[in-house]
Amino acid sequence: MIDIKNLSVDLKTIEISFDDFTFEKSKITIVSGKNGSGKTTLLKAIAGLLEYKGDLHVNGEVTYNSQEPVIFNRTVYENISYPLKIRKLDLLEYEEKIWDYCKILEMDHLINKNALKLSSGEKMKVSIIRSIIFNPDIVLLDEPTTHLDLDSINELGTLIRRLKKDMTFIIVSHNKTFIDSLMDVEYKIGGNHVLS
Amino acid sequence: MIIEGIIEAFKLLFSLNREIYTIIFLSLAISILATLTASLIGTFFGILISISNFKLKKFTKKIVFTFMGIPPVVLGLIVLLVITGPFDGFNLLFTKTAMYIAQTLLVLPIIIGNIIISSEKTQKKILETATTLGAKKIDKIKLLIIEIKPFIFMSVILGFSRAISEVGAVMLVGGNIKNDTRVMTTYIALNNSMGEYSVSIAMGIILLLLAFLIHTLVSRFRGDFYD
Repeated sequence: MIDIKNLSVDLKTIEISFDDFTFEKSKITIVSGKNGSGKTTLLKAIAGLLEYKGDLHVNGEVTYNSQEPVIFNRTVYENISYPLKIRKLDLLEYEEKIWDYCKILEMDHLINKNALKLSSGEKMKVSIIRSIIFNPDIVLLDEPTTHLDLDSINELGTLIRRLKKDMTFIIVSHNKTFIDSLMDVEYKIGGNHVLS
Repeated sequence: MIIEGIIEAFKLLFSLNREIYTIIFLSLAISILATLTASLIGTFFGILISISNFKLKKFTKKIVFTFMGIPPVVLGLIVLLVITGPFDGFNLLFTKTAMYIAQTLLVLPIIIGNIIISSEKTQKKILETATTLGAKKIDKIKLLIIEIKPFIFMSVILGFSRAISEVGAVMLVGGNIKNDTRVMTTYIALNNSMGEYSVSIAMGIILLLLAFLIHTLVSRFRGDFYD
């Protein structure tokens, strides 16, 4: 699904290189490593948000959910349906799915509320649903459990397990219980830093 | 004198004096038109500059920020030199059109500059997120405009305040001609020079009331969620 070979990213002050790796389809890969080891950098490079050197082959549509959710100034429903709207898809066809995901993450009662006014955890859930609603092939989740309470973390795990058949998940997380309940493959990074 | 001014303000407002109403109407009309024109052009260029990467970007921003603080009288002088120089054939000196041009040019950098500042603050994350959700360039621009809408309104209000309150530029290019190019600020300046302070205070109060009224109306129509 994703092949990386001789991949390195120059962050101006530091250059991070990554070991060659293949992320397999329909597998949940956990990217692990110490703080500052380059986990977010890797996800951003895969998402096409950072320039890189080397080979990076991504086979399919990819979406990246950042560790600090970026919420648009509109309702929860409008936030979630944004990727559908820009693809000019029929929202009615997705209505059931939107409600379904919102129910799993217990967001259904907030669907008409302005998303900017929600708590950080609720914003994270909106952002995650918005990332998966349009059926991307590859979902990159950067610290998705940040701001989430224990129940919400379990609900997110349930949702990811349900979707893994059709989507490839690459997740960065420091939450051990969450990782243990989901991980199929682990990709460890770290130690490949060169000061620029 | 201030109390006299307040009494005079009400007398002026309810005097049904045609000259006073013409002055108020002209002030509002030119300032609103200039602000609207500058808002349309300014929003477009503000967003374009903030999302584009080009060689002279830093320099362009510096020029915009410099012009944000240009003294109106200096800008009036530049417009005066242009309309009496290369554009002399258009006979624009001491016309309402010249006043409109001067005010538009005065407000334009304020709108562009404020939009650049607000857009650059928020745009990176918004554009990044939109990219990862599959948005095309036009979708991203639309999204950015909607997301910075409150800042655009704020810039428009700042621009209007600058337009309605300035005196130097309209005095130079408009000439303060009675029943033609006289506006509230030039009327105040004229009465000050004649020692008619209570009339000046009265017009000043009307000016403040109008500004307050317009700002209240605009903020009602902002329609954002930040209130």
